[in-house]
Amino acid sequence: MTDGNKIIEMEVLRYRPEQDQEPFYQSYEVPFLDDWSVLQGLQYIKDDLDGTLSFRWSCRMAICGSCGMMINGVPGLGCRSFLRNYYPGKLRVAALEHFPIERDLVVVVDDFMNKLAQIKPYLIPKQVRALDQGEYLQTPRQLEQYRQFSTCINCMLCYAACPQYGMNTDFTGPGILALMHRYNADSRDDGRAQRMELGHADAGVWGCTAVGYCSEVCPKDVDPAHAINQNKMGSAIDYFLRFVKPRGASQ
Amino acid sequence: MEVFKADVAIVGAGGAGLRAAIAAVEADPSLSVALISKVYPMRSHTVAAEGGAAGVVRDDDSLDYHFHDTVAGGDWLCDQDVVEYFVAHCAASLTQLEHWGCPWSRKPDGHVNVRAFGGMKVERTWFAADRSGFHMLHTLFQTSIKYPSIRRFDEYFCTDLVVEDGRCQGVVAIEVATGRFTFIQAKAVILATGGAGRVYRENTNGGIVTGDGMSLAYRQGAPLRDMEFMQFHPTCMPGTGLLFTEACRGEGGFLLNKDGYRFLQDYGLGPAEEQPRNKFMELGPRDRLSQAIWHEERKGRTIDTPYGAAVNLDLRHLGRKKLQERLPLICELAEEYMGIDPAQECIPVRPGIHYTMGGIYANLETETPLPGLYAAGECASNGIHGANRLGSNSLVDIIVFGKLAGERAAEYAREVQHSEPTTLAKLAADAEQRALDVVNRTDGSEKHSILRREMGQSMESGCGIYRTADEMQSTCDKLAELRERYGNVNVEDKSTVWNSDWLGALEVGYLLEVAEAVAHSALNRKESRGAHQRLDGFEQRDDANYLKHTLAFHTADGPPRIEYQDVVITRSQPGTRAYGAAGVAEDAQAAQEPAHD
Amino acid sequence: MSAQTDKRHPYRRPMRGWWKRDRYYIRYLAMEATSILIALYALILLFGLLRLGQGEAAFNGWLEALRSAPSVALHVLLLLVFVYHSYSWFKVMPKTLPAIYWRGAKLPQPVITRIGVCAAVIVNLLVIILLTGLQP
Ligand SMILES: Cc1cc2nc3c(=O)[nH]c(=O)nc-3n(C[C@H](O)[C@H](O)[C@H](O)COP(=O)(O)OP(=O)(O)OC[C@H]3O[C@@H](n4cnc5c(N)ncnc54)[C@H](O)[C@@H]3O)c2cc1C
Ligand code: SF4
Ligand code: FES
Repeated sequence: MTDGNKIIEMEVLRYRPEQDQEPFYQSYEVPFLDDWSVLQGLQYIKDDLDGTLSFRWSCRMAICGSCGMMINGVPGLGCRSFLRNYYPGKLRVAALEHFPIERDLVVVVDDFMNKLAQIKPYLIPKQVRALDQGEYLQTPRQLEQYRQFSTCINCMLCYAACPQYGMNTDFTGPGILALMHRYNADSRDDGRAQRMELGHADAGVWGCTAVGYCSEVCPKDVDPAHAINQNKMGSAIDYFLRFVKPRGASQ
Repeated sequence: MEVFKADVAIVGAGGAGLRAAIAAVEADPSLSVALISKVYPMRSHTVAAEGGAAGVVRDDDSLDYHFHDTVAGGDWLCDQDVVEYFVAHCAASLTQLEHWGCPWSRKPDGHVNVRAFGGMKVERTWFAADRSGFHMLHTLFQTSIKYPSIRRFDEYFCTDLVVEDGRCQGVVAIEVATGRFTFIQAKAVILATGGAGRVYRENTNGGIVTGDGMSLAYRQGAPLRDMEFMQFHPTCMPGTGLLFTEACRGEGGFLLNKDGYRFLQDYGLGPAEEQPRNKFMELGPRDRLSQAIWHEERKGRTIDTPYGAAVNLDLRHLGRKKLQERLPLICELAEEYMGIDPAQECIPVRPGIHYTMGGIYANLETETPLPGLYAAGECASNGIHGANRLGSNSLVDIIVFGKLAGERAAEYAREVQHSEPTTLAKLAADAEQRALDVVNRTDGSEKHSILRREMGQSMESGCGIYRTADEMQSTCDKLAELRERYGNVNVEDKSTVWNSDWLGALEVGYLLEVAEAVAHSALNRKESRGAHQRLDGFEQRDDANYLKHTLAFHTADGPPRIEYQDVVITRSQPGTRAYGAAGVAEDAQAAQEPAHD
Repeated sequence: MSAQTDKRHPYRRPMRGWWKRDRYYIRYLAMEATSILIALYALILLFGLLRLGQGEAAFNGWLEALRSAPSVALHVLLLLVFVYHSYSWFKVMPKTLPAIYWRGAKLPQPVITRIGVCAAVIVNLLVIILLTGLQP
């Protein structure tokens, strides 16, 4: 398949719930070319060595967010990490940390998906606009306020980097809080108050202790730590405003 | 088997499927909609689209222009009534996405910005940097969460349609996490399963783009239309086939041969000018550009790479700032995957398979010939792309016709009733058995990964950019052989939890059927048109005999049966497809003639 | 209920020893640890205040104790801890602020950190100059 003469040893964490009590590393010898990604290495294993290995992938171009995994202990996208960078050493590939392993490199992502649905990740417009009124106006500057936080590919690497999430999965976690901030910071949106009910909670921004590793591993420069921590300020202000506002103001 | 009763079942949660789901529940919130996808919705391949989506907004643009660009771009194989509906609905569909939060790139005054795209006369491509499909998909997915009556079946792999009483009444799917089957009974079914680029080896498509829906419909007797038209994108990464969006050229990038010469001027696309000019040079249509690269290779004027001949995509003159702002993903791809800084060096590129123009035949109402079955998105052939799709027409196709499919299916679901549950359950059980047979067989000896590889190679040699009868015939023969061998396939993995070996085998089954439809449709079309170019005496377009859609019908055991269908022509008679200076002359002449319409 | 069986059995990995997994975590914990030492120093100062309230002799005793060799060593150590803590604090600071724009472009976070560190150095110098200037 390859005429490359380099061979790298890939150790892959295997776990097949129907036969294994706990995960173990299995080693494969993978001949590769210089431009091969870790994902291509895994595909080689699946196609040519061991068809029983399971992992998620699709786009191969770091945009679908399927192929997050621990690569030598660091959360990374398989399709954007290259075998040449680990050669001649060996390479250890494992399922994303902090998520239950469904099988081999596949993790259970129900928790992430449920959290995503909870934060109302859609525009709650300031004023509803009919289609024939055309688009909402938004200057490039206003777009810039949230653009970065809208580029999250839901790869969950940041969750695998976050010890707070690892220790307490009630914590909403970096990626989803960044998404919450994305909508809150959108000039067209008016849903902040609704979303921050969750954001203010312990499971929200205050669950973060500013470890900061999430931003470090994020493949899309979303900088979730920034999204979360700038909201702590807002959250604190909201908290104090509650006392400042006259009682019964709602009447 | 689990049974879930829905009014509308949608297979596929890419752009088309999500848009359909939202449209169906907006049409009638009391309907229950099942949205089934073999991957989580945001992993669908719409996510990879970079360049943008077409919709007329500028004052100097018109629906007429968009219509003519599309029809001429499709080499007159478009159904013009459908194109008319299409162009009239593009801008509103894109505005709808804006209202749902899609972060389209803006002009300083806050209005949506548009960029140039190949084959388009005026700038009309809406874009969100070079992550247009990504943002469209995430916007649609996140918006869909608002609607409680959309019940998602994420990571459910659909293996069959259930057809009873002459109409489609549901789908059978495997829950990937458990290997269990679910019968999703529905009064109407929409297929939105995307393209089939994976029948080739080197391509821009994700691993999931395996033509499943096409094959499912085809097996039930719905014809696959115009399958010979597989689009090669001229600028792909050698080896992996990853895409460098057409927006690279829309923003002013050049294509150079090994002598640094802008060779497109030798292929009727010139003259070469410094500034990008719509429908000239690098902004010509994809089929022409891919063909030009093929010729350059024959002339020995291409660059050698370990993965074959390439030409250079030159973005250096755009400058780092513009590259970072307009083409950040491209910079990332070049830097990370090839170690190339596009502000400093040229990027070697070569053509790769990109888009499936053909698909399940669906009419203007997105109905397939099988009652109760609708198709939208890349899996459908609704007649707007003809023999060659224009870049940025597909991302709008999926939302314009996704919406329509949702509305039509909702209407239909209100009119009909479920059939007798026991009859349907029996059919579903049969479908389950067929899928289980693939994994449970113990005497097989063929590896599906090998079949897939051989299929890809054979498709590339026989159904590439240029084709001859001999080569196509040998591809057809090869595919027949592979189909035979597929009957003897062995799935190594016998477990139930996340058995991707099994799903891979089922996908190869789908791919092989679609590949046969492509190869036989190609072999039978004795002319050259759009993406189907022959070198064996049929180099010209032949309107007298082939201004027709190809229909491929599934047969019990042999190759597909090929039939033809008239193209709908309303106001644009087939003319010469001219670009560059020749195109301008053509336009001028057309303007002098009395209008056809 | 369905007759089909579900063979799922997701495996949860333990978090035991998580901080050893990555150097990043060790650095993070080191920063957290510095907070404890800083709290300790606050206690020392608080104790001084207490002594002040108890009269001049008590306060002088406390001052005397501060001048002892172990105390000086402790102060040197605490100074280093303080420097590290301030630096890591400024490193986190840009994350806690909304993005700052300068001439239309986003100010990169390392720049904000550097500005913070510089400001801290200047303020400290000023304080030192002021204090040493007051005491002949
Ligand atoms: C790299 C790239 C760039 C592109 N750029 C542009 C561009 O700039 N402009 C443009 O107009 N077009 C572009 N296109 C084309 C365009 O993106 C696609 O045609 C379009 O996104 C297809 O959308 P879809 O909804 O039909 O299918 P997809 O998004 O592919 O979705 C298919 C869905 O079907 C599901 N599915 C498939 N099989 C099964 C099964 N057996 N069971 C259950 N579910 C199943 C999948 O899980 C998925 O959810 C590009 C394409 C590629 C590959
Ligand atoms: S924030 Fe970054 S790391 Fe986290 S899910 Fe999004 S893209 Fe992945
Ligand atoms: S395969 Fe899509 S992100 Fe890696």
